[in-house]
Amino acid sequence: MTVLKAVRGVGLMAIVGAGLLTATGAGQQLPAAARLLVQDTSLPAIDRGLRDQDAPRAARSRDEADRLRAEAADGLPYVRGSVIVKFKADATAGGIMAATRQVAGGTVDRSGWANFDIIDIPDTADPEAAAAMLRARPDVEYAQPRYRNYAMSKPNDPLYANQWNFPAIDMERAWDIQPGGTSNIIVAVLDSGVAFHSGTFRYNSRFAYRMVPGGPIYPALGIVDVPFAAAPELGTSGSTRFVSPRDFIWDDAYPVDLDSHGTHVTGTVGQLTNNSLGGAGMAYNVRIMPVKIIQGLWDEIFSSPNEGTDDVVALGIRYAADNGAKVINLSIGRAEGGAAPVVTDALRYAVGKGVFVAVASGNTRASGNQPNRLAQPAPDINGMVAVGAVGRTLESTYYSTSGSFVELSAPGGDQRAGGASAGILQQTLDLDLLETYERPVSQYGPPRADAFAYYYFQGTSMATPHVAGFAALLMQQGVTSPAAVEAAMKQFATDKGAAGRDDLFGYGLINPRATLRGLGLAR
Amino acid sequence: MTRRSPVVAALLLLVTAVSAAAQTRPSRPSTSRSVEIGGYVMVGQFSFAASESFDAILGTTSGAIFGGGATVGLPFGGLFVDLGAWQYSNSGERALVLDGQVFPLGIPLDVTIVPIEISAGWKFRMRKLPKLIPYVAGGYTSFGYQETSSFAGSGEDVDDRFGGYHLRGGAEFKVTRWLGVAGEFAWTTVPDAIGSGGVSQAFNEHDLGGTSFRARLTVGR
Repeated sequence: MTVLKAVRGVGLMAIVGAGLLTATGAGQQLPAAARLLVQDTSLPAIDRGLRDQDAPRAARSRDEADRLRAEAADGLPYVRGSVIVKFKADATAGGIMAATRQVAGGTVDRSGWANFDIIDIPDTADPEAAAAMLRARPDVEYAQPRYRNYAMSKPNDPLYANQWNFPAIDMERAWDIQPGGTSNIIVAVLDSGVAFHSGTFRYNSRFAYRMVPGGPIYPALGIVDVPFAAAPELGTSGSTRFVSPRDFIWDDAYPVDLDSHGTHVTGTVGQLTNNSLGGAGMAYNVRIMPVKIIQGLWDEIFSSPNEGTDDVVALGIRYAADNGAKVINLSIGRAEGGAAPVVTDALRYAVGKGVFVAVASGNTRASGNQPNRLAQPAPDINGMVAVGAVGRTLESTYYSTSGSFVELSAPGGDQRAGGASAGILQQTLDLDLLETYERPVSQYGPPRADAFAYYYFQGTSMATPHVAGFAALLMQQGVTSPAAVEAAMKQFATDKGAAGRDDLFGYGLINPRATLRGLGLAR
Repeated sequence: MTRRSPVVAALLLLVTAVSAAAQTRPSRPSTSRSVEIGGYVMVGQFSFAASESFDAILGTTSGAIFGGGATVGLPFGGLFVDLGAWQYSNSGERALVLDGQVFPLGIPLDVTIVPIEISAGWKFRMRKLPKLIPYVAGGYTSFGYQETSSFAGSGEDVDDRFGGYHLRGGAEFKVTRWLGVAGEFAWTTVPDAIGSGGVSQAFNEHDLGGTSFRARLTVGR
C-alpha cells in the first residue's frame, strides 16, 4: 500500500508546490497516513430528524465524487504506480521475478486476505499496458490495473410512512412470514464504512484542497479530533449487532463512516424496526459486518493510506467471506476502466463459501449507460445478483444502468420523477455537520460524525440493500445456498417491462412476500 | 406423517373376520333377484400419482384414508351401483423447489382430500366358493381438494372439486349373511387437477389421483 501513498503524494504536492498551505500542530504529529483513536467513547448521538425540506443537493456523480481526485491523481480511473496480478499456482519464483522485471516493476506485496499480488511499476508507466503485458505471460492467471471504485448512490434533496419502498415490494406481509431474520445471519456491508462505533478519532488534514476545479482553496485543517457515534437506528456502539468490523481504507478495525453512504445503505439492510423510532429496514434483526472498502472525501482529505481500488474491494469480499458473512452488499463499483478479474475471483470465492452477493448495476443510464464493471460477472455467478433500480411508480429510473447483466430490480428511488420524497429514506450522518466542505471557505472546519438525520437518497446503491436484506430473510427461512437464493428471487420476481427477462428490470421487481411464502402443492 | 394404524386395524379386522367365518357355519350366497341395499365403512392406504409433489410438501407419498358408502345390488345378475366417499388429510409445510432441490420453509400447510365415487360394477358369484364374491367396478370421481396454509391472502388457499375416473376390483367375504369383509385395489385418475401452480407445476405433475388398497366392512346383502 506504500505505492498508493506515493501516488497521492505526487498529486497533492502539485497543490502544496503552488504555495498552498499545509498545517500540522506542534506536538500533535501523526504518521503521514494514519489516524489515532483518542477516546473510545462519546456523547450520545444527535438525532436531527427528517431532513426533507433541505435545499436540493447536487447529485453525486463520478465527476463530483472524484473532485479531489481530479486534483490529486489526474482523474484516471486507476491508481498509477502499481498493478494487480495473480500468478498461476505453478508459477515459479524465477517466473515471478521475470514478470516483475518485464514491467520494470519492484516490490511484490500480498495482503493476508489476498490470493493475488500487487506489483509496483514506475509512476510514469501505463498500468493498463503493464497489466496487458503480464496477462500475456503463461504463468499469469490475470492482471489488471488498480481501478478505483465509488459509491453508487446519488444523494439529492434530502420515517415508515415515508418509506414507500417497503410497501411497494409487499414487505409488511413478508415480515409477517419472516420478521426481520435473526442474529444467526450476518450481512456484510462493504462500503464507505458504517456509523457503528462511538469514539473520537484524531486525524491530520495536511493539505489544502480545491474542492471543485477553479473553485476556492480550502485550507489544511491540521490535527483535528472527529467525534463519531453509532447511528441510533442501527444499534449501540459495542453491541453484538455489529460483528467483525474491518477498515481496509485505514487498515484497522474501525470502519467508521465519514461519508454517509455506507450508513444509509446499512439502514436499508437492517435499520432497527418496531422500536418506535425512525423508519424500518429489510432484515432488522440480522447482525451487520461493517467493512470499509471505499473512501469518502474526508478520508481522502485526511490522507487515508488506501483508497477503494479493485484490490481493496477484493480484500473486503474475501475478508467478509472468511469471517462468517452470509450476505454481502456491494453498493459500489465503477463504470470506468476494464474488467475486474481480481474482484470477480473474490466474488467466486465468496459465493463458493456460501455467501450471497448483491451488487449495484450502476447509475449511468443517463450518461452513457456504462455498466458497473464489478456487476458484469453476475449472470455467470449463481449466487450473485446485479440490481437495477425502480422509482416510486415501480418503473425504471432515469439513472439505473441497463444491460444483459441486470438480473433483478428493487426500489432505488427516482427523485427526478417524483420529487425529493421519491428517494429512499434512511438515517445517516447529518450532512450539514459532516460535509463542511460544502460551506464557504470561511465556515470550513472539521466534520462531526456523531449527528444523524433522515435523508432521501436515490441510486442503485439504495436498491441493492433491498436485495441483500431479502437474501438474509430467505437464508433465515432455510434457503441457505446462494445459488438457490438467486433462483428463488428470480422465480418469484414480478415481471416488469418486456415479457420475461429484459435489460432494464432483469427478471423483474423482487417479491419478498411471495418468495418467502413459497409454494403449496397446488398453488 | 403416514398413518398406518388404521390400515393395520382394518387388516386385523379382515383376518379376524375370516377366522371367525371359518368357525361359523357358512350362509348361502344370495340368489335374490330383488334390489339389495347395503352399506360399508372402509379404511385404506392411498398412494399419490403426484409423488414428488406430495413428498415435497407433506414428506410422504401416501397416507391413510377413511370412508364409507352404500351399495345397491340390482336385479340383473351381479350388477351393482355404489356411492362412496373417503377422506385423506395431512399436514406439511410450504416449500421452494429450486433446480429440483426442495427447500422446506416452515410455513404450516394442511391438505384435505374428499373424493366422492359413483361406481357401477359386477359381482361374480362362485358356486364353489359362495362366501367369496369377487367384483370389479368403475365410475366417476368427484375429487375434492382443499389446501390451506398460514399467511394466505384472499384467494390463495385452494378449495376445489375436480372430475376424474376410477377403476377398482376386489373380493368380499361374507362372514355372515348380513356382514362381510372385503379388500380391493383401486386406481384413480384426476387429470389436470394440479400442475398449474405450486410444487406440482415445478415437478410437472398434473394428476391428483393414485392407487389405493382398501379394506371394507360391509353390512347388508
